[in-house]
Amino acid sequence: MIRLFRPLLLAIAVSTVSAGLACAQEELKIGAIGPLSGGGTAWGLATQRGVQLAIDEVIASGGLKVGNKAYAPKLIMYDDQYSATGGRTAAERLTSVDGVKYIIGPVGSPSVLAAVPVTTAAKVILMSDGYAPGILKNEAGSPFNFRMVDSNVEFAPAMIAWLKKNKPEVKKVAIIAPNDAVGQAAIPALAKAYKDSGIEVWTEMYERGTKEFTPLLTRMIATDVDLFDLNSNAPGEAGLLLKQARQAGFDKQIWQVGGPSVDEIINIAGPLAEGFISYDLFDFSKADAQNFIKAYHAKWDGTINAQTPIWYTAAKILFHAIETAGTTDVETVRDAMLKIEGWNTGFYGPLVWGGLAEYGVNHQLLQNFWITQVKDGKPNTLAIITPEKR
Amino acid sequence: MLSPVILAQVLLNGLSLSAVYILIALGFTLLFGILRVVIFAHGSFAMLGGYALYYVYGKYHVPYAVAVPLAAAMVAIASLVLEQFVFRFFYQRMFQSMIGLIGLDLALTFSAVLVWDVYERSIPPAVAGVSRIGGLIIANDRLVVVGIAAVALAAFWLFMTRTRYGLAMRAAAEDVEIAETQGIRARTIYRLAFLLASFMAALAGGLYAQIYALSPFMGEQPLLVAFIVVILGGMGSIPGAAIGGLILGFSESILSTFYGASVSAFASFGVVIALLIVRPWGLLGKPE
Repeated sequence: MIRLFRPLLLAIAVSTVSAGLACAQEELKIGAIGPLSGGGTAWGLATQRGVQLAIDEVIASGGLKVGNKAYAPKLIMYDDQYSATGGRTAAERLTSVDGVKYIIGPVGSPSVLAAVPVTTAAKVILMSDGYAPGILKNEAGSPFNFRMVDSNVEFAPAMIAWLKKNKPEVKKVAIIAPNDAVGQAAIPALAKAYKDSGIEVWTEMYERGTKEFTPLLTRMIATDVDLFDLNSNAPGEAGLLLKQARQAGFDKQIWQVGGPSVDEIINIAGPLAEGFISYDLFDFSKADAQNFIKAYHAKWDGTINAQTPIWYTAAKILFHAIETAGTTDVETVRDAMLKIEGWNTGFYGPLVWGGLAEYGVNHQLLQNFWITQVKDGKPNTLAIITPEKR
Repeated sequence: MLSPVILAQVLLNGLSLSAVYILIALGFTLLFGILRVVIFAHGSFAMLGGYALYYVYGKYHVPYAVAVPLAAAMVAIASLVLEQFVFRFFYQRMFQSMIGLIGLDLALTFSAVLVWDVYERSIPPAVAGVSRIGGLIIANDRLVVVGIAAVALAAFWLFMTRTRYGLAMRAAAEDVEIAETQGIRARTIYRLAFLLASFMAALAGGLYAQIYALSPFMGEQPLLVAFIVVILGGMGSIPGAAIGGLILGFSESILSTFYGASVSAFASFGVVIALLIVRPWGLLGKPE
């Protein structure tokens, strides 16, 4: 009788031990902040889902090995509504109430600039994305914050150099941006990059939340620009700007030195997006991206925003730094993040930190980026560019 | 920059903007005029109208001329459930309705988030492309909105002024107790007014989502526009909603084109503040 039940008893014993081992993994809270409502939602969801995919991988491999402990990361994310108030509130909640030591996000300068003083004072690592130079270049010297996505200081000069070579007929560009910290930070750097290349710049700003751009676009068309740059606009607004520009009769090149929001723009503008050129963060047709795409669609439907692999990689960098540090102590992990330069991140190759010349601190992650063009309703790669380490 | 062609384009843009704003404001002003309810959930009904049109026209390809009123009617009929269990407790109670319906608006918005997630979607245009008249250009879907707004405004006005139910609504708006003594059943009239207002909100929302983009949060902007238009034109006044929509649409087009978006926003709200000081009942409203 016992012989018959032996395999069953063995199975029960093994699963009990496994469950016990899994229960022995201590929880490690990983905070995240991003827009989960409004025009920037695609980026907030990219943050949430990218980090969660990295967490799922770690848990499937037995957890984060830190010394002789195993940790199971747990994501706690709050919606900042792409605003300064939201970013600050989320940062305070994560640091004071939830007690997290590491935060991934926010996306967008208003939110990051509001969160940085909170996380710096609380000695919490912040791995964010936003174009404002003040994110890294500030009085505190950015001891704990890192920027995980190239800003337009890193990618704009390279893109504009590509533009000069491939579209020399462009003499005047229009930039329409939101009238908040994002636009006010992005426009000067971008305008300088264009002017340094001999391209005249026309700029206009709008209030965040605007959906009707036809009057502004009529104003733009009257100035005879050769190129319309969607720059730092969130996916929702970028899609409407492109759609309404074409409907207002603008038939010249539209591109985006920023974003990216290629799939969302295709979804909003439909056939009007044909020929649109954009800065892009990822090529989903790559062979090594297919497993990632499968893992994503096993959990969620719909478009995968190009920022998703960015935040997945950011989480992987954090986890590797924690394991390398051998401790969850924030300062040791922070030092480990810099020591692991050269580590193969997977999708983006070796980890490279830069930014010392621009920001006084080497906390800017330098990543390869793509220039893509919409053809037949799909993005196609035109060029792959590496930012300069300065 | 000021040339005849640019000026004509600006006026044409203003007309298409006005059409959208008038449609959004009509249902809002009706409910306040008849029921003395400040319907903060107006944006949510517009949002639901957008999703209804997305499915009826975008997914199930019902012919557009049928899809637009059908989608609006579906939302209006479904809203009668909310009327029975929520709205009717706020009739003639303006201040209580503000807080209660803000809560309802949030509940509806985040229910939509749970059902449809937060991604923005687009609804295919009724007629793709643009029309060029001389040097002027207008998107064809904007022309459709102008046409629908004109028909809706005319039908609305005819209903309110030439039908027995419209007359009953206006009588109830003047004095509900006297109206009841004349044989008008207030409960029936209120329900009909609510149905009509929801229909108008959903109709406006479907067209708004088609021109711009559809998401659970799209109702915030129509709600703000509705407030500005009815305050300008006068709460409860249908001609006032038309005039308020025209003023807002044309001023936004002219000021944004010639002076930029910030000046336009400043002027819009500046005029509203000035009007509330000098003539708080609006251009065609009645003093309380």
